[in-house]
Amino acid sequence: MKRIGDWWFAPAPAQRLAAIRILVGTFAFLWLTTRLPEFVQVAKLSSQNWGPTGVTRLIGPLSPGAVFGLGAATSVLLAAFVLGIAYRVVAPLAAVGLMLSLTHRNSWGMIFHTDNLLVVHMCVLAIAPAGDAFALWKKPDRAPVTGYGWWLKLLLAVTVVTYILAGIAKLRLAGVAWLDGEQLRNQIAVDNLRKALLGDSIAPLATPFLDHPSGFTLFSVMTIILECGAFMALISQRVGRVWALLAWGFHVGVVALMNIWFPYPLLGLAYLPLFPMERPVGWLIGRAKSALERVLGRAGNVPSPETVRSPDE
Amino acid sequence: MPDRYRFVIAAIVSIVVLLIVAEPVLRTPYEDGFPLSTYPMFATKRPTKLTMDYPIGITAENERVFLKPRIIGSGEVLQALQIVSRARSMGTLPQLCETIAKRIAPLPAYHDVVTVKFVTGTADAVEYLVRHEPANEIERARCLVRRGAP
Repeated sequence: MKRIGDWWFAPAPAQRLAAIRILVGTFAFLWLTTRLPEFVQVAKLSSQNWGPTGVTRLIGPLSPGAVFGLGAATSVLLAAFVLGIAYRVVAPLAAVGLMLSLTHRNSWGMIFHTDNLLVVHMCVLAIAPAGDAFALWKKPDRAPVTGYGWWLKLLLAVTVVTYILAGIAKLRLAGVAWLDGEQLRNQIAVDNLRKALLGDSIAPLATPFLDHPSGFTLFSVMTIILECGAFMALISQRVGRVWALLAWGFHVGVVALMNIWFPYPLLGLAYLPLFPMERPVGWLIGRAKSALERVLGRAGNVPSPETVRSPDE
Repeated sequence: MPDRYRFVIAAIVSIVVLLIVAEPVLRTPYEDGFPLSTYPMFATKRPTKLTMDYPIGITAENERVFLKPRIIGSGEVLQALQIVSRARSMGTLPQLCETIAKRIAPLPAYHDVVTVKFVTGTADAVEYLVRHEPANEIERARCLVRRGAP
């Protein structure tokens, strides 16, 4: 038990968790603000297309104006989330706003799977002390007794669980027959046909691979190993990073074969807890602060990037 | 609060969060949700033969133009497909056809499209994509693209 506790509560710097807050929050902010016009457009669809899921079963379809208002308010909250302003209050509100906006978007006849992990990570960050560093707000007098490392483990474990669920779904729905590659080939073929008939671009490598289908057996076996073996990412940072690289490669393959984009993992955000992100983020904040000082001609309120070393490395 | 209890609370929070995220494993994979999902994508068995409804633009020279999903009502292919199949099942394809015709009328990309028609097409995905076998199509609705005088 002690070994498990030592592993789960291994120390990590506050800046690492804060860097993840900044990166995930920035992505959520950009993702929401750039897609808000589409969210409003979808909210204008006829009610026959409404298929509620999650919290939208309770609130029903919102008017296009309400969707815009919710999205705009959430964008402001997400900006404050990134800056670490009034974190204890702002972070839960930002997470709830994002969940509502994205759930509403997913309630119009089709559940996408591009935003799930983003929302769950935002919910975890909302209850974590991720505003204790790199923040435009008063920092706490002392660090939490339990430290920051277990929050990073929890974020990573959440990522791992989602991949395992995807692997389990394949084995439950298609059984071990999924491994022979035929199901994957058929999925890729049908998905690209739908795109072609609806005037969308088909994936660049779909046609050559469909013409030579033997490779799909290898892809299928690798997919199941990657998904069901995702727990290995928790064993050690080194193993985790290898898994993250393979998982990222899997998503690149999905783009090449199906033209389906999962931006959150493709940008590496799903795997951030495995990397010392406080270094590039601290460097960027330092550059931003210098630029701001040059513009203003005096010291601004932008926090200094603390010189940090990860105790667990 | 003693430090020991804080670690116990942190452990409980960790377990509860992971149980919530793992909860979909208790559902059938078809019971998808958001943000807690069973992640059933690419998992179902399916043949390569596909039948689906979709709109096509027809030019004055009788050439076919595939219409982008955004024209149908969503930038996402699968959601656009849902919009079409719901309209078919509700018997509102003629209305959707008129809506699409109005949408494309002012768009330069579709300046030569004079008619929109909805078809039910059946094709083998591999044959269509690799060997360019056309889909067998049955027309379901048709409407004219009306443009003002230049």
